Amino acid sequence: MAAKSLRQATTGRTRDSDHESFLRYQGFRWLKIGLLISAIALLIYAFNDVQPKPNGGSAYGYITGTIGVALILWLTMLGVRKRAITPGRWSLKSWTSAHVYLGLSLIVIATLHTGFDFGWNVHTLAYVLMMIVIASGVFGIVAYATLPQALSANRGETTQVQMLDNLRMIDRQLNEAAQPLPHAQAEIVQMALADDPFGGGLFARLSGRYPKCGTRAALAAVRADISRVEGDANDPLDHVEVLLERKRSSLSRIRKHLRLKSLLEIWLHVHVPLTFALIAALVVHIVSVFYYW
Amino acid sequence: MSFIVRTVARTADGRDIVRPKPFDTKELTVGRSPDCDIHLADLAVTLHHVTIRDSGAGTVEAVATAGLPFVVDGKSTEHAWINIAEGAIIRIGSHALTVAIGEGDDQGRTIITVERVGAISNASEAKEETRVFSLAAVLPGKRPLAWVLALLILGVFLVWPLISIYSQPTDAARKVAFHADEMWTSGKLSSVHRALENNCQACHVKAGQAVRDDACVACHTKVHDHADPKRLAAAMGSPGIVGGTKRLVASAFNIPPGRCVECHTEHQGATAMPVTDEKFCTNCHTDLNTRLADTNLKNAADFGDNHPQFEPTIRFAAANGQPATRRVSLDANPKEDSGLKFPHALHLSAANGVARMAISLGKDEGYGAPLQCVSCHVRDATGSTFAPVKMESSCGACHSLAFDQVDGTVRTLRHGDPAQVVADIRAFYRSGAARPAVFAGMARHRPGETAGRGAGYVPATPIRVGNADQAIRAVFSKGGACFDCHQVKPTGQASAPFAVTPVVLAKRYMMKGWFDHAAHDTESCASCHAVKTSNSASDVNLPKIARCQECHGGQEAHKAVPSSCAMCHDYHRTGFAPLMVRDSRARGKAHDAIDRKSLTAAGAGA
Repeated sequence: MAAKSLRQATTGRTRDSDHESFLRYQGFRWLKIGLLISAIALLIYAFNDVQPKPNGGSAYGYITGTIGVALILWLTMLGVRKRAITPGRWSLKSWTSAHVYLGLSLIVIATLHTGFDFGWNVHTLAYVLMMIVIASGVFGIVAYATLPQALSANRGETTQVQMLDNLRMIDRQLNEAAQPLPHAQAEIVQMALADDPFGGGLFARLSGRYPKCGTRAALAAVRADISRVEGDANDPLDHVEVLLERKRSSLSRIRKHLRLKSLLEIWLHVHVPLTFALIAALVVHIVSVFYYW
Repeated sequence: MSFIVRTVARTADGRDIVRPKPFDTKELTVGRSPDCDIHLADLAVTLHHVTIRDSGAGTVEAVATAGLPFVVDGKSTEHAWINIAEGAIIRIGSHALTVAIGEGDDQGRTIITVERVGAISNASEAKEETRVFSLAAVLPGKRPLAWVLALLILGVFLVWPLISIYSQPTDAARKVAFHADEMWTSGKLSSVHRALENNCQACHVKAGQAVRDDACVACHTKVHDHADPKRLAAAMGSPGIVGGTKRLVASAFNIPPGRCVECHTEHQGATAMPVTDEKFCTNCHTDLNTRLADTNLKNAADFGDNHPQFEPTIRFAAANGQPATRRVSLDANPKEDSGLKFPHALHLSAANGVARMAISLGKDEGYGAPLQCVSCHVRDATGSTFAPVKMESSCGACHSLAFDQVDGTVRTLRHGDPAQVVADIRAFYRSGAARPAVFAGMARHRPGETAGRGAGYVPATPIRVGNADQAIRAVFSKGGACFDCHQVKPTGQASAPFAVTPVVLAKRYMMKGWFDHAAHDTESCASCHAVKTSNSASDVNLPKIARCQECHGGQEAHKAVPSSCAMCHDYHRTGFAPLMVRDSRARGKAHDAIDRKSLTAAGAGA
């Protein structure tokens, strides 16, 4: 970043990019449309006197409900639309921008549809699912806006395969360096070699915590080994210590990479399946409401 | 006997390079140490792990030398005999040593093929890059997850309730327990319908059909219409664009207008049923006369701003002398003819003879102080109104009907039955009349004399008269016991020479509205009823609407008590307390809201 801005300063050129994010697309057109829809919905809600209290079964409720379900189905279509990339007014970017802002306006439309009438029933279930889907989408936008920089900084011009190759190279060196070691010490090195960089479950991926990390345990054990002669190039154990330290550093970079990547992906694992759960709940909501009209 | 060790190495492009090395010894050492015959660069292998020995007779013996086991054909062991002809695979660490018998040129030798079968480290396992770096490696896929969740929701919340609906009875055999279709409820039922919470189909009779009045009428058999449906429709007039559109949409979905549930909204929480909003009344009644030209009802839009003066039901004597009633506006200063002579002012004075009499009667007789309203008017069981005033208990202590005394027991004339009075007096004189009857009229009543029950009884008239006819005339004439309170007319008949106009006291003045006295306990009687200055029984001592409006306003009024129509009027005109009053006793939510509103308006609430 610093180098980039320095370069810009010296050349005196402004950074010229064709890139326009889907958030700013066409001067926030869809943000404005989303806000307008929300404002109209709020305004009508404020002046609409529903007795005995606002609910989804009023005329306003039916209208916002219909708009809401149409919006949800259209928003879901982004999954289909994104697989066909076309330019122009109805470009994918335009769709994505509309997806985000109209999706956010759904918070207002659907909440007003409920009339704040919540309970332990299938109707509130649909509402809660929708809010989780929207919240995960917001998380996704924040992740997309902030995490790629950290991801790029962590990777430092290397590719995923290169990171993995580096780890394998260290492992080979470790394997060789440990050959002269007696069995007990060789077992220590085995702990590090047995480390699966992709091991650990979802929680480890998201948090970057690996409490059972073999490399760290091996490093601690080697350092605690009294037979090690520190700084002696001929001591295989000391050489192993150096290699383990390198492996630890390489592993932590991969794990940070994994953490950032999983944070970039996790929201979609919530967003997409819950969208279909939401559509199922909406089907139940609509069927039940008209079945027991 | 000798060994040939074939070491297999794999090139980068996947080819195998086999390097054979013959050993003409009886024994081979296997280990990580470079001085071993078979050198395994494998950290899982000890420096000297196994010794393989030719034990003759076509067998070799494998012995662990470092005390750590190895695996022969899948079995972990520290010592094994291997038949060369059968062969075996010895697994040490990540390496496999395949023992086999030599063939061809190698006839008679034992071939040991050494091959690395495991990776150096876990990181070196071949893995699909895009998958391992992605969350897909640790989570089930989005698509299966979506299917599972969607089907789960459809199963639990749609299929289960549908099965329940079609399998459970809806009659008395239905269990009072959870039924899956309850998950479809949009809110708890009101407290009166709580028993139906487990039985959706009690009201939602037919799938897809909005709740019909039939379902309500199934239980509510005695509710009648507000008015003739044709007149109701005429009174409603044109529904306007919004209302018309709503009605059009509703009719498109086969929903009839004017259903019970339009006013009686359910599923609003486990409280009293919400009070119907004022606008449901004022829609028609604000300008009812413009649509129903022949109506007798006056327009009303809001209790505070636009409500006609009260028109209590007033009793009067009809042309034939029979008691009749009619509604008269309080503005017309109506006079009532109940048939009774009773000046309230006289009885409520704190200083006159009546007051002295009440004081001297004492507490034992229920008095002891100047008369109060409560001396005669006692609340009935409902608390909202008063028990009818009875002559014997309310008047009899002073207004004596005594005429004789036998051994300490006072004989009284029969109240309310003039013929009986006449007969009793005649019978008294016929019996010999050893002593004259003693009657006392009220005009000559003295404070200090106790009426009725004591030894020194007060007679119905103080005049001692000689014969029955004179006594009868005295009782029914001015100064006599009957005449003091009643309108008496001579009939000219011998058997019943006098007739008393029947007394009918109003039980309820406001027949079209409801007034709850219990709700007004914070007020005194006199703050609304101006009886202390009323000198005639014909005065209608009811407060005008302006007095009510001091506290009560319309539904949205900033008055101490915002009052919608339903506070006094009942849509179904049952003659009982309106819904709102009944609800207020159940402490419903809507009433709480009104309470809060009134507290706020009065400056006493948050």
